[in-house]
Amino acid sequence: MLRPEINELLTETGPGTPMGELFRHYWLPALLAEELPEDDGAPVRVKILSERLIAFRDTSGRYGLMDEFCAHRGVSLWFARNEENGLRCPYHGWKYDVTGQCLEVPSEPEASNFCANVKLKSYPLVKVGDILWTYLGDPESQPPLPEYEFVHVPESQTYTSKRWQESNWLQALEGGIDSSHVSFLHSGQLNTDPLFKGSRGNDYNKGDLKPYFEVTDTPGGLFIGARRNAEEGHYYWRITPWVMPSFTMVPPRADHPVHGHIWVPIDDENCWVYTFDYHPVRPLSDDERSAMRAGHGVHSENIPGTYRPMANKDNDYLMDREAQKRNEHYSGVKGIAIQDASLQESMGPIVDRTKERLVATDTGIIKARQKLRKAVIALTDDGVVPPGVDPEHHRVRSVSVVLPHDVAFMEATAEDASVRPGVAQTTV
Amino acid sequence: MARPILHNSCARATTAAESRFRIDVPIAPCRAARVIGLDDDSVQVVADAAHEPWRTARFYACDDTAEAADLPDPDDLRLRDLDRGGMRLGDELEGVDVTVMVASNDDGAAAASHIGLACSLRGITTAGLVLGSGSSVAGALASLRPYARVLLVPAEPDDLVHLLTALRA
Repeated sequence: MLRPEINELLTETGPGTPMGELFRHYWLPALLAEELPEDDGAPVRVKILSERLIAFRDTSGRYGLMDEFCAHRGVSLWFARNEENGLRCPYHGWKYDVTGQCLEVPSEPEASNFCANVKLKSYPLVKVGDILWTYLGDPESQPPLPEYEFVHVPESQTYTSKRWQESNWLQALEGGIDSSHVSFLHSGQLNTDPLFKGSRGNDYNKGDLKPYFEVTDTPGGLFIGARRNAEEGHYYWRITPWVMPSFTMVPPRADHPVHGHIWVPIDDENCWVYTFDYHPVRPLSDDERSAMRAGHGVHSENIPGTYRPMANKDNDYLMDREAQKRNEHYSGVKGIAIQDASLQESMGPIVDRTKERLVATDTGIIKARQKLRKAVIALTDDGVVPPGVDPEHHRVRSVSVVLPHDVAFMEATAEDASVRPGVAQTTV
Repeated sequence: MARPILHNSCARATTAAESRFRIDVPIAPCRAARVIGLDDDSVQVVADAAHEPWRTARFYACDDTAEAADLPDPDDLRLRDLDRGGMRLGDELEGVDVTVMVASNDDGAAAASHIGLACSLRGITTAGLVLGSGSSVAGALASLRPYARVLLVPAEPDDLVHLLTALRA
């Protein structure tokens, strides 16, 4: 349960809002690199933290991200011509470079310096891994680029997709740090999905529906350990890292690639879900890539040419009651990503947390909200840089492991939960 | 034959306008919460939290930590209600649905085991907040771990208030 004002504090991320200011201290995914595949290609509309922007790649291969609308009459530059190192508005020919600087105003005299005083708001756009990242905050406070492992392994070892989720970012994130729903909602997929099946952990997951949790504070966020019974005298641990504000990793299964998410607010009622899979020490196989593209694992099958899932709220997520009865899909919805999205969107655009009835096992969610709120207050009152900005905080891994009963998971897995280049993930 | 999809019904059911028409009745508080400090420092944290306006929560200190290890029946563990004086653990767990134990060192490890066991036998969910980390709380953690459905390590003092608030205690 949250008071209404705290719910608003945590869910509103537009310009000038406290949480919006917090988000503006981080590098955030703005779009996939595949969306700007070539120089002078089509510009792409981007909405992030409620700001409407246009992204493009100019003749020289430079990336730009700036105000979507022409300074002249407010036309969307999505209609612009991308030519000769700039975007030219088709209405009256005003032209801008990747920094938003106006280069030409054709109606002005040739010797005029009018355009020198016209500049659209712009932000940096940098390719790291398969993602184009942006930083929407004060340039003076711009942090170093992200160092998440999935964007730094060789290209052959990583794959990233994205999907539009029609809900506030926070209820989507909270699903990512809630390990107990896996034994129910995703139970139908654990032994059949090509990116999940074959793990001994699946049996532990399905054999113990009442996990115990340990929530551990870290400099960048939390580690949430979910403990289930394994063989005599042993527990099966699934350890989920959360790095503020919205990065999580799913504990691995067997030698399958490791996956995770970054949730990025589009506005207060929509978010992008960036979903990655990578393997720390080997290339992804053709079969694994095909499965990811087809929407298996934690990815989604999207409407071609868009990032909207094929199964979405306009078609009731292609609910299949017969598959529900057969326990093929526990909820009747196919695919892990859409199983999550369907339930999180069903809560409403911004879930009313004054009406929820949490239980003790929701402590991970309770603690995450508390850390977010404290970080917002510390930033607002004292200018304290929030957790997760420091790239050192990005060097985490999820872990799945079987440990004796008397072993504390954080002490036993301290190395496993850190990035170790050239060393495989710790997995069951 | 595939059943027809009721087109768009979810979309209609999840708009902001729709949410105004949802059933809006008071939500019952959790039935009863018991909060127990297991050592001197944690009792202070529990006492501070007790000043908030709770609905059903009661707050205790466990003073007999030295004798706890020798108790044959965990229900006989003595607690001190911060408002009402001495109590027997077994009597205070009637009708309870969650017990939160708070530890800052190993002094209350044996008591934690007794409380955990007593709650476990009654089907009461148990949570543990450990105000510290490393070897100074290893014993408390080891005692809490078999019973506590959730452990927060290391916890901050205000985590207790936030947890109880979220639980509607």
